[in-house]
Formats: sequence, structure tokens, C-alpha cells
Amino acid sequence: MTRTRRLGLMAALAAAMVWMSTGCTVISMGGPYTVDNDDGGGDPLNKPFQRMIAIAPQPNWGPDDTIRGLQAAMAAYEDDPSILAEYLTPEARSKWTAGGPVTVIQDAFDVVLPPPRETGTTVKIMLKGHWAARINEDDSYTPTSAPWERPFELVKVGQGYRVSDLPPGLVLTESDVARAYRQTNLYYLSRHTQDRQVVDRVRLRLNTTESFAQTVLKRLLEPPTEALRGAVTSSFPSGTKIESIRSGEDRVVINLSGPLDPRDLSVAEALKGQIRNSLGRNEIAKGRSIEIQLDGETYSIDRPDTDDHWLDDDIGDTAYYVNTGAVRYLSKDGPGGVVAGAAGERREGYGHFAISAGATPLIAARTSTGISVAGLAPEGLWQEVIRGTDLTPPTWSRDGSLWTYDAKNGLLRYDPAKGRTASVEVPEELDRLDVTRFRIARDGVRVAVTIGPNTVQIGSITGGGAGMRLANLRLLTTTETGDEIHDIAWRDDEHLLVLVEGQAGQTLNEINVGDGETTGVPLKDRLESLAALQDRVLAEVRTKDGGVKLVELNQDRQTWADKINSEGGAPVFPLG
Amino acid sequence: MVTSTLVISVIVVVVLGMFLFGQINKSVVDSSQRSGAGEATADRLQIADALSPEADDQDKSVDGGKRGTGNLLDEVMNTVTGSGEGGARKRYDVLILNWTTPGHSRASGRIVPEDVPLGLRLSLQRNIREYKYEKVVQFIQPIRFRGESQPRLTYVVGGIVHLTTNGRTYEVYHFFPFDEEEELLSNVRLAIVVVGLGLVLLLAAIAYLVARQVVTPVRLARQAAERLASGKLDERLKVRGEDDLARLANSFNEMAANLTLKIHQLEELSQVQRQFVSDVSHELRTPLTTVRMAADLLYDAREDFEPMASRSAELMQAQLERFESMLADLLEISRYDAGAATLDLDPVDIRDVVLRAIGDSEALAERHATRFELRLPNEPCMAEIDNRRVERILRNLLFNAIEHGEGRDVVVTVGADRDAVAVAVRDHGIGLKAGEDTMVFDRFWRADPSRARTIGGTGLGLAISREDASLHGGWLQAWGQPGEGSQFRLTLPRNAGADLKGSPLSLVPPEIEMRRTWRTSMTPVLLPATGDGAVDDED
Repeated sequence: MTRTRRLGLMAALAAAMVWMSTGCTVISMGGPYTVDNDDGGGDPLNKPFQRMIAIAPQPNWGPDDTIRGLQAAMAAYEDDPSILAEYLTPEARSKWTAGGPVTVIQDAFDVVLPPPRETGTTVKIMLKGHWAARINEDDSYTPTSAPWERPFELVKVGQGYRVSDLPPGLVLTESDVARAYRQTNLYYLSRHTQDRQVVDRVRLRLNTTESFAQTVLKRLLEPPTEALRGAVTSSFPSGTKIESIRSGEDRVVINLSGPLDPRDLSVAEALKGQIRNSLGRNEIAKGRSIEIQLDGETYSIDRPDTDDHWLDDDIGDTAYYVNTGAVRYLSKDGPGGVVAGAAGERREGYGHFAISAGATPLIAARTSTGISVAGLAPEGLWQEVIRGTDLTPPTWSRDGSLWTYDAKNGLLRYDPAKGRTASVEVPEELDRLDVTRFRIARDGVRVAVTIGPNTVQIGSITGGGAGMRLANLRLLTTTETGDEIHDIAWRDDEHLLVLVEGQAGQTLNEINVGDGETTGVPLKDRLESLAALQDRVLAEVRTKDGGVKLVELNQDRQTWADKINSEGGAPVFPLG
Repeated sequence: MVTSTLVISVIVVVVLGMFLFGQINKSVVDSSQRSGAGEATADRLQIADALSPEADDQDKSVDGGKRGTGNLLDEVMNTVTGSGEGGARKRYDVLILNWTTPGHSRASGRIVPEDVPLGLRLSLQRNIREYKYEKVVQFIQPIRFRGESQPRLTYVVGGIVHLTTNGRTYEVYHFFPFDEEEELLSNVRLAIVVVGLGLVLLLAAIAYLVARQVVTPVRLARQAAERLASGKLDERLKVRGEDDLARLANSFNEMAANLTLKIHQLEELSQVQRQFVSDVSHELRTPLTTVRMAADLLYDAREDFEPMASRSAELMQAQLERFESMLADLLEISRYDAGAATLDLDPVDIRDVVLRAIGDSEALAERHATRFELRLPNEPCMAEIDNRRVERILRNLLFNAIEHGEGRDVVVTVGADRDAVAVAVRDHGIGLKAGEDTMVFDRFWRADPSRARTIGGTGLGLAISREDASLHGGWLQAWGQPGEGSQFRLTLPRNAGADLKGSPLSLVPPEIEMRRTWRTSMTPVLLPATGDGAVDDED
């Protein structure tokens, strides 16, 4: 080996040593890098949650602690039923069942013990609280407000107490529900139009043995709640099962099994939409691709950037208002021009306007003799389509039909395409009630009905064609005696705005029709009428000087801004 | 060199790898533990702060901690576990246990009380009994959580939250998954193993290359030296570069060149000498013939001379005969040197040749009172030999034995096997000193120059005999010991020119061989003081 080669080798070794030593201490720069992230860029499949840990009855506990321990064990029953059983005597254990609706009471409940002189081996106590809600077996949440009390019987066994008699079903506090349940929106297909998804709100219990995504999808495979029974369908055929849900790279893979036909693209599209909205709108896997597999083979892939037409109403964001009988556009800056056709002309006797959806919308108004319809076009003329003197204000459905409730003839549906009016079957009890308003939601399924001056009921339109009927009516809200419901408006598919005229002034509540969750909206002025579309809420205000202005609720949902200071009028949004 | 480098580098890499992995392991685990313990402490403080009635507002304290604390616990758990509205997922799970107050135990995720290691729980409960609320207990062990098939390495921190105002005590357990650390360390270990293996292989390759670069030139030099030694005087090494190996190659080449030159010079000198001897011998023959004819006349007429002149004529005749004999030998050996000697082969029974040679030597033997002892095989010992040359060899050997046998018996033995025949001539004279067994075949060599030459040999007899034997492809070898006499053995192949692999007769006389064997087998204890003479006497 020559000296030159030796020197070269030594230099190479020295360079290698220097490189190795520097490589250990300096983070090399470079990029761009592609990072495979299992959690992906969107929401995970699960949400962090906490649980009640039930403790078995302790020997030093009295009846009060034992009952409170029993209630805690009920809160943890779904996770670990064995602890609750330890609170019960064998007889009670054999008789008691956790099935049925879950009673939700307010957190502050009392355990009323018998007088001290009655103490013996058996102790009869009363659990007193305030009934807050009920979680039905179909997972719907029904808020309630009433005093609540139930008797419990305890026996002293050795050291400590056991419950020998108790009412069936679980009793949870509001905190228990907030801890263990999640408000969840499920999406089903409108049975009538099949082109629109309808939201169904449920309370789902978090399950420790599966991801929340799995809990949601498993529930989605089941029928909707009673409120939508018969009004919606599911694209999941009966017998469909969820084999697995796993998260990989930037996508969520859902493996289904069942009688799905991969060649039926319409079903695949609807199924994809149901899954996407039922997960994404509950902040699960939002922003991630969803690959749906059928028996391990790719069935359909939903990408996060695709348009979702399943909740689209095709009505844009055009707002209208009625000023001295003429319908005008409401522009961003304030008053706009009048609409084309007869509706844009001043005309006395026309009120309670309603505008349909679509590229060439129709406008309907109630008159003293019935309901007239005109096209929002230059040649549009008013034409009376439903005759009657005791009709509710007209409301349009997304299928293009016009609806009103006639106190004499019941629910009427006018089809402009056929030019024919037909009556729609309603629940028998509705005929006996004073229906003052009838408003169809933009999903074309849910219906808000005001009964008399102070009750709002929610129903749904079931069936289709000749079998179409109004059904599933249930109470949404009621005002106190003396108060009166002044106006209602659908904000979106699940929120109804209810304007109540009370003795102490007006109140405006936004009520979730799924679970009755109510949010108050502060008012500055007295509102005459209101209309809403998604985040926009417009209201008509009569000023002190006799003028009419139009106000709009700001994005903070707390304050109102004047939209038209004078010569305003009743606001109108298409549908709703 | 490669093996030793490999072994040393393996040891160094293993030791360094273990040290490095130990340091990384310690660093990662310590860091995670410190971080986890810090988070657990912060959570416990937060829980204690949230549940203390002093921190509550008036409404909450009205409940006496019975109804409101549950909500407070929920709120603080929402914060701690990130399960509240907009909460961020935490990397750990929390378990709060209160065994005395119903509804005051919480857990995040899938944790259940059974997941707490028994030792940890017992230590924590002992601390509670001993009012050591500040003590924190830590465990690292694999835990199989509910719904999971494989246990996961988990760092569990157990602490106590004790509310002095209402006497409630909460056991707070934090579960930190260590599977990421385990995976990281597993990857580090794999990387260290792979890098170490690569390093060892690299060192081995470097050692191999270096060794090859050093050893290969040395090996080439050895091979060249071997070829040079075998007579290939043209062998040279290739010179590359200027390093030590190049200088070695240069020196080797110079040495080989000098050696070749010297050998050539010596060969030339030898050639000149041989030519000179040959020329002189030839040139002397003519005058010698004339002198011989004159001397024959004088010798024939010596009767007529005076006694002094007559004696001179006899002496001259005798010296002339010797001179002629010497000249004949010189001419003979010159033929060998010139490569002109040829064989006249005939199949001959070697026993006949021996007998003829003995017959020629009997006169001389009688003069020295020497007797021959013949040991001939019964079967014919046929060999393809030049009868004249072999007979001359045997005659020379017999004359030598008679001359140096000091009148003792000369034993002539004939042996044969499948490939060769051999004749051994044994005398019992003064023998040969060490080294003389090869020198006896040198030209003009004399064992003891002071001794009188009785036979009148020329000093070339054994040299010529050896050349004769070599011409047959045979051997002529000598053995001798001072006082033991000597033995010359002629071995000839049965077919002239065939390679000899051995001789039918032993070079060392059998009685000497037996004596050696006997001495070797005797232990020194048995014969501590006896010398060779005593042993000989016993023989």
C-alpha cells in the first residue's frame, strides 16, 4: 500500500467518523416529507369520555348512602351490571329489570328516610327529585318537567343494607346522562321524495367496548325514532351488519356485510350519504375519506371534498319581505326591488305569504276567501287554488306542493303540477283540536303544528302518494296559561323558532325538535313576525311611530341589527 | 488478522451497543416517567382544588358536598381527561376511587379498578392508613385492559387527594401507556443491532482488504523464492509503488540476479576446469603411450640392468600403470561431465555380477587377509543394467572395503524387491566420521591423507561409481560410524531409468539398527552407568 493510499484511507475514515458524530447531534434538514398518519387529518373515531365507577355497598353505609350508591351503580350499569346486582336482595334481583325508558332526574335529589321510630330491619324510603327527561327505548330524548318521587325498600343484612324493592328501569341524573350519553344526529332518507335526508336526534350511550363511530353506525342500522317512523327510510337493507370499523392512514374503513347489491349505485350513493352525515355531522371522522366495504371488498368511497346534495334545499339564500302588500327582494344592503309579476304589486287582502323552492318559485298568500298562488315571473298572476275561510297560512313542501289546514276539511294539499287539491289523512285527535298554524320543514318531512294559542306539536308526513298522511304528532312545547304563540319558523331541519307573546313580554326560543333542547334568543324589540333560514333570522318590528322595520339576528345570536329602518315588512324565506 | 479483528470488533460493538442502548433506555424511560409524574401531580392538585369546599361558591357548599361534589368531580374529570366540550384527547387515562362516598368514583376510557396493580393499590392504601397523603407510588408493568387481547406496558402513578375539610380521601391513578416508548426503544435496539452488525462487517472487510494488500505481496515473494530455489533462476517479482513491499521485491530481484550471475560464473568456471582436465587427459595419452612403450622395453630388459637400474625400471613401470589408470579415470569422469556417458543395458542377474566382482577382488583380499561373506538370495535378481559399469561400481566398493577393512570380514549382501535390486558392501574398518558419508563421493577425497594408499586408487573411484549409479537412475549411498566400519549400498531399478521409491536393503547395517532399537527401548533407570562398549560386548 502506498503512502498516498494510506493517507487517502485515513482521510476517508476520519471523514466517516466526523459524519457519524455529527449525525448523532444534528437534525438534518430537508423536505417536503409525506407523513403517514394513522389518525388522519380529521376527527378520530372516538371521543374522550369519563365514566362513573360504581362501588359495591359498603358495610358502614346507611340507607341514604346505599340508595345513592345504587343510583351510581345504575349510572354504571351499562358498563358493569354486576355491581348493581350487589345492591339488591336476591328477590329484588330476580324481579327488577333495567329495560324500559330511562328516567332522568335533576342532580339534586333527596333520599327521604322514615322517622327514626320506624327503624327496623326493613326501611322504606322515598327518592324525591325533579323529573328532567326520559330516554326512550328508541333512544329519543323527551324532556319533561315535573316533580318525581319513587319508593324504595331496603333491608338490613348483616352489616349494611340491601334494596329489596325498587321501581323498574334505570334512574339517572342529568350529570349521568351528560357523562355517558351523547346527543347524536342520525340521517335517514325521506320516504316521500327519496332525494333528501332527514335528521333524527337520539341520545346514544358511550360504549367502552367499541368506538363511538361504531355505536353511531350500529344505531343507524336500526329504525328511526318514533317521531319519524313511517316518514323516512334507510338505504341499509334489513340484515346489514357492521363487521368492523378501522382507521387507516387518512381514511376510515367501514366493513359491512349483508344483502347489499354493489350494482345498485343509487343505494350506494344514499348509503354513503347516510354514513357521511351521521358521522361527520357528529364530529366523527369529519374531513376524512370514508371507504365502505362489503364483505371486505370496496363498495363505495366517500371523499371529504365531494358535494353533499342530501341536505341541499335548492333555495339559495334569497330573502323576501312584504311591504304594504307588495313582495320585495331583500338585498344585502337593505331594500331591494319588487318581485316580478302580480306579487310585486300592492294589493290589499293578501297576507301570510309563502314562497316555494326551485328555479321558478311560486308564491302563495292567504286571502279572506282562500289561498292564492302566483308565479314570481312577469306574467305571474294571482290564482286562488284553495277555497276556505278558516285556513292556516299556506306552507310549501319541498316536493312543490302547497299545504294548509282547513278547520272544516282537514289537511289540504294542492299540487300545482296537477292543479288539484286533495285532503291528507291526519290523526283523529287533530280534527278535534284548534289548529292555528301548519308549517312544513324544509326537509319535507317534519311538520310543526300549533294547537290553539299556546301549544306546538311536531309531527311528520308519512307514506307517499295516496297513502300520505300526517302522523307521529307529539308535544314540543307549550306556553304558560295566558301566553300566546305569536309565530313559528323553521330555522333548519331540526330547529324551530317559537315566538311567544307573554304577559311579561315576548320571548323567542329556538327549540331542537329532536330532543326539545331549548335556547333562548334575547329580544330588543317586539317582533310581529319572523322567518329563518339556517343562520339567518329576520323579523318584522313595528316601530313606535307606526312604521315597520326589518331586523336581523347577528351571528353572535344575542343581538339584532336593523336591516330596513322604515318601510319594512314581514320577512319570507322560501319553504320553512 | 481478519478473525482477530472480527472478534475484537464484535466485542467492542456489543459492549458499546449495550452501553448506548442502556443510556437511551434510561433517558427515554426517565423522561417519560418525569413527564407522567408531573402531569399526575398537576391533575391531583387540580382535583383537590376543584373538590375543596373553600373553592366552591355558596350554592355548592349548601349541599354539604353530597349533591354538588358529584358535578364538581365530573367537571374536573372533564378537564383532566379532556372529555368536556372541546376538550383535547389526553395521552393517559385517569381513575379516581373513593371507597367511602357513593357516586364519587370516576374513570376515563376503559379503565376499571381491577386494572390497578395490586401492589400499587396496597401501597396507596397503606399510605392512607398511615396518613402519608403526599406519597406517590409508581409502577411500570404490562396491563391487559378490558377489551384488549394483548397486555400493554403501562406506567401507573398512584396518588392521594385528601380533603381536610370533609375528610374525604380519593385514590387517583394515572395510566400512562408506555407502548410508544417500548416501540421506540425496540426500534432503537434494532437500529443499534443493524448498525453494529454493519460496523462489524465493515471492519472485517477493511481488515480483509488491508491483510490482503499486505499478505499478497509476501505470498508472491514466497512463491517466487520457491521457484528460484527449484532452479528457475529467471523468476522475478513485479515491483509496484515505492513502499516497503516494493523495496522487498527489488531486493529479491537483485539477489536473484546476483545469484544467477554467480551460478553462471561458477558453471563456466567448472566447465573450463572440466574441459581443461579433459584436454589435459587427452593430450597426455599420446606422450604417455610413447613413454609406456619405452618403459615396457626397459622393464622387459631389466634383467640385464644393474640392480639399481632394474629397480628403477620396475618403479617406473608401476607408476606408469597407475598414471594410466588415473588418466583413464579422468577421461571417464570427463565423459560424464561432458554428458557423453551412455548405458549398454542388458538383463543381468545381479548375483553374477557380484560374484564376478568378488572374483576380481579376491587377489587383493588375500593380500589383506580379508575374507568375503556373501549373503545372496536364492532367486535370481534380474535387472536391466550396464554390466560393465555395475561391475566397476562393485569392484570399487569391494576394493574400498578391503583397503579400509583392516583385514576384517567384508560382508556382501544382495537384496531385491519388485522394483529394485541392491547390493550392500559392509566392512568393519575404522568407519566414517559424521558428514563423511557424503564426502566420500567427492572427487579426490581421502579419509585420512596420512594413511598410505596400498591399492593405488586414483581418488576418483567412488565419484565415478556414483555417476554410474546415477546414470542407471539408481542410488549409491554410504553409511559409517567411527569404530563401527562402513557400509556402501548400491540400489538400482530393475528397469533402468525408472524412479526409485526405496531400497530392498537397509543403509544402516541390520546389527547396528537392532542395537539402536534396543538402546532406545531400554530405560535409563535400568542401565544408568553402562556405556556403548558394554552394550557392544553384550551383543
